[in-house]
Amino acid sequence: MTEIVRLDGVGHLFAGRGGIAPSRALHPLSFSLHESRSLALVGESGSGKTTLLRLILGLEEPTEGTVSLFGADPAAPGEEALRARRRCGYVPQDPFGGLPPTLSVLDAAAEPLLLPGSDIDGALARRQARELLRLCLLEESLWAARAGMSLSGGQRQRVCLARALVTDPDLLLADEPTSMQDSQTRRRLVELLQARSARGKTLLFVTHDLVLARAVTERAVVLLRGRIVEEGPTEDLLSRAIHPYTRALAAALPRLGQPLAAPPPALGPAPPGSCPFVDRCPHRMPACASAPPLRSVAEGRRAACWQEAPQKPTG
Amino acid sequence: MIAVEGLRLDYRTGIRRVRALDGVDLVLRRAATTAIVGESGSGKSSLVTALLRLLPPGASLSGKITVEGRNIMSLSEKELSASYRWTTVSLVLQGAMNAFTPVLTLGRQIAEVLEVHRRLSRTEAMGKAAALLEETGLPRSWTARYPHELSGGQKQRAAIAMALACDPLYLLADEPTTALDVITQAEIVTLLKGLTRWRGLGLVLVTHDLALASAVADRLVVLQAGRVVDEGPTERLLDAPGHGHTTSLLEALKTLEASDHD
Repeated sequence: MTEIVRLDGVGHLFAGRGGIAPSRALHPLSFSLHESRSLALVGESGSGKTTLLRLILGLEEPTEGTVSLFGADPAAPGEEALRARRRCGYVPQDPFGGLPPTLSVLDAAAEPLLLPGSDIDGALARRQARELLRLCLLEESLWAARAGMSLSGGQRQRVCLARALVTDPDLLLADEPTSMQDSQTRRRLVELLQARSARGKTLLFVTHDLVLARAVTERAVVLLRGRIVEEGPTEDLLSRAIHPYTRALAAALPRLGQPLAAPPPALGPAPPGSCPFVDRCPHRMPACASAPPLRSVAEGRRAACWQEAPQKPTG
Repeated sequence: MIAVEGLRLDYRTGIRRVRALDGVDLVLRRAATTAIVGESGSGKSSLVTALLRLLPPGASLSGKITVEGRNIMSLSEKELSASYRWTTVSLVLQGAMNAFTPVLTLGRQIAEVLEVHRRLSRTEAMGKAAALLEETGLPRSWTARYPHELSGGQKQRAAIAMALACDPLYLLADEPTTALDVITQAEIVTLLKGLTRWRGLGLVLVTHDLALASAVADRLVVLQAGRVVDEGPTERLLDAPGHGHTTSLLEALKTLEASDHD
């Protein structure tokens, strides 16, 4: 099966400037996403999820390692990278910065079809845009409004999704695309993504919500402070996680009628080079002063923990 | 007890009039956690602002609000400031959403509330601010810190400390975990729940997240289009919703929780 996204030892360091120390967003990591598959990047704010998406799209060049998108280097100049990027749809995390402020909702949704080199005429583009706006639950009364001005955050987010889907891209990269939606709307958008996967389209989905991740993806990668701590089928990460951090993520997630469990709060930043969960882990031991490697622990599962299968926390 | 009867709230914007609350009847008890749940536009934030009588110009409020037997609707701005806001009913600000001013230390901001509403001296107020930070799990010395030196979760702890400053009887928290990740969210709601139980306060949690509400609250109140459409003990509401809107909110969550990709 074709590899659509492949990362080999990709790390990223944001350069310091004017007295600000450089900041490591990602420690070198590797994973791949095959055609017709779906993968979630799960983690809290600052874990590196958004940086990873930007690297895959070539919006940022990694400081280490290589990124391949449809077989091309997405950050390289030239036709090949451009063609690869055009096969992608991207829903940015921030719908306030993600829309052209002067276009109407309808024109903003049609714009990706009308980029230079496109052979689609305006009328057809708008017809497709109208269909997508309907699928993304945007009321017709909003279509003439300025996309970047008069809409609520949730509405803008849905315009961003319509824009990302209007070209029917082979790969959709969606960064928390339902974070501002009501529960009912979120359910309908989840169904939209599920239908897309059922047609064999590829999905890379960023979220901090493992339940949401399970609804739309087969596999997930859990990131913490720029490192992969666990990878496996999304269902397993929710119900049979190996890494204590993944278990904490699942336990902290509000579920109907179930009590919440919070791990002990962070005592301070994790020392450089240590396991990224060392400051909050209930199973901490001396070995955790150095970051454990990500190793294969079962068929299709990888985890980075010195205790390969730590006991369930008691109490 | 907070008793709300027939509460109506209209906002006027230009020539348009928007009804945000449309006859809300509600009882909020002390020593209980009540969650007010609704989708965006349901009127949940309007209810919070109305309970504090913190309404923008052009808003018109009618109906009854009685807190511990006191008629809140008849209080003057001066009375509200002297003996109601912060001291009887207090609001947990969205600390993570920059509710603090960036130019003053946390200690100064918490102390100011005590100086104005409890008439403490600066020294007394700073001492109490340190104790409040400690109560919410932050070091006492952080009175000297500025908001930007704290993470989102830490800022939210400081916002809780500030809300508790004048020993209120009720704490209103409007989406107190906005912009926090799930683990920090669990920490913050556990802290809120623990502190209010310890102090014997009424906690009113306003949220769009029915799952979060069900994990924390003893009672649920469901708002839709400015009306209370369902209300009751959490378990009962989950088992036997009293309104179609609650059922559809529950269905939306259950579908997602049951939804397996393949």
